Amino acid sequence: MNIKDYISSGIVQSYVLDQADPAERAEFERLCAQYPELIAERKAFEDALEKFALQHAVVPPRQVKDGFLEAIQNPSINQSKVITMEQHSNTPVRKNSGLRFMAAASVVLLIACGWFAYRFYDQSNELRAANKDLQTRLDSSEGTLNKIIDEQNLIKDKNVTVVNMVGSKATPESSANVFWDSASSAVYIMVKNMPRLPSSEQYQLWALIDGQPKSLGVFDSLQNNVILKMENTKKADAFAITIEQKGGTKSPTLEKMQSSGRTKAPL
Amino acid sequence: MSAIPTYTEQELVSLLKNRDNKAFGYLYDHYSGALYSIILQILNDSELANDVLQDVFINIWRKIESYDSTKGRLFTWMLNIARNASIDTLRSKTYQNDRKNQPMDNQGEDVLVALVTQVNVDNIGFRKVLKELKEDQRQLIDLAYFKGYTHEEIADMENLPLGTVKTRIRAALTQLRGFLK
Repeated sequence: MNIKDYISSGIVQSYVLDQADPAERAEFERLCAQYPELIAERKAFEDALEKFALQHAVVPPRQVKDGFLEAIQNPSINQSKVITMEQHSNTPVRKNSGLRFMAAASVVLLIACGWFAYRFYDQSNELRAANKDLQTRLDSSEGTLNKIIDEQNLIKDKNVTVVNMVGSKATPESSANVFWDSASSAVYIMVKNMPRLPSSEQYQLWALIDGQPKSLGVFDSLQNNVILKMENTKKADAFAITIEQKGGTKSPTLEKMQSSGRTKAPL
Repeated sequence: MSAIPTYTEQELVSLLKNRDNKAFGYLYDHYSGALYSIILQILNDSELANDVLQDVFINIWRKIESYDSTKGRLFTWMLNIARNASIDTLRSKTYQNDRKNQPMDNQGEDVLVALVTQVNVDNIGFRKVLKELKEDQRQLIDLAYFKGYTHEEIADMENLPLGTVKTRIRAALTQLRGFLK
């Protein structure tokens, strides 16, 4: 090996600055034993490094020295140091058992901390889920309450005529209420009991004006006890509900009449 | 008895290995600034650097038995302890900061602390010397020496062949020798 080439490869700086891998370090140390000039080169670089570092020193705050001196004068602050000092101690067994107790206690403490951390994490997840559940229920309750309030307002309004829809002979069990606000022309329907329909069909509400039917829109059977806003009508002698194809038709299929009701008691 | 003792390195090491507290006081007075400088250059945070410096000296005190003068100077040995401790702290700090990116943490406070304790290290010590290097070399030395990545890790990160990384770092270090003189 040409030692000059080896030196100029930067291995010395690599070694000193801890940039050499284990194989390179081993080789360097082996060659140092063989070539004094390699050691000389290493020492020269180390000297330059130390000199440079001392020139560029930054004075640390005083408290660091105090902390350091205190730590080495009271080795009990640091557990590992107690182990070193044991050889000089007159009561190694006691110190040792104290240390063991501390070690055991710290392990117990660590496990306890871990357990609590896990419990808190778990609990917090549970609480979050419970909170979300409550929020959903609250939203749903508020929605129901608002619907009830709307119903109440509608029923109490003196301009509103409540028309009780009576089932036809074919479907005597069908029942619904139509709320007709003669002041605003608004029409609402509350389904009480209408038989379920196949998904291709819907109920259609009609107003009968001077014998002519006028469509007020379609609805499904599912919305029991929910007030639905239908289309407005200024006039209505009677209301009727028929079963129609989904989406409704222009003129009612009278044989499929489900229920009907007059706006005024027959004279 | 002189107020400021002076020792040869051999005397000093022998006293240190005997746990002579006065010798450790001297060691601190003589070298703490040089080690503090390198810790600051790696951590860029004076508050953390204070803690690391104290730990480094406690570690020197504890490990002095394992110092082998045939492998290098005492300062070289201490410098590597300081550098390794700083890089360990840097990694756990980065790790903590990553963790702090969770929504519930008070990031604002951390940023404030960082601003207060951050120091400008570009112009001290080796960092200043680094400015003399070419950009690509400076980058590699920064990753290898100041961030503590292995050459293999750097090759992966920079998408370079391992041989190229090693050659460039060696070349940069050879130049460093000239700058230090």
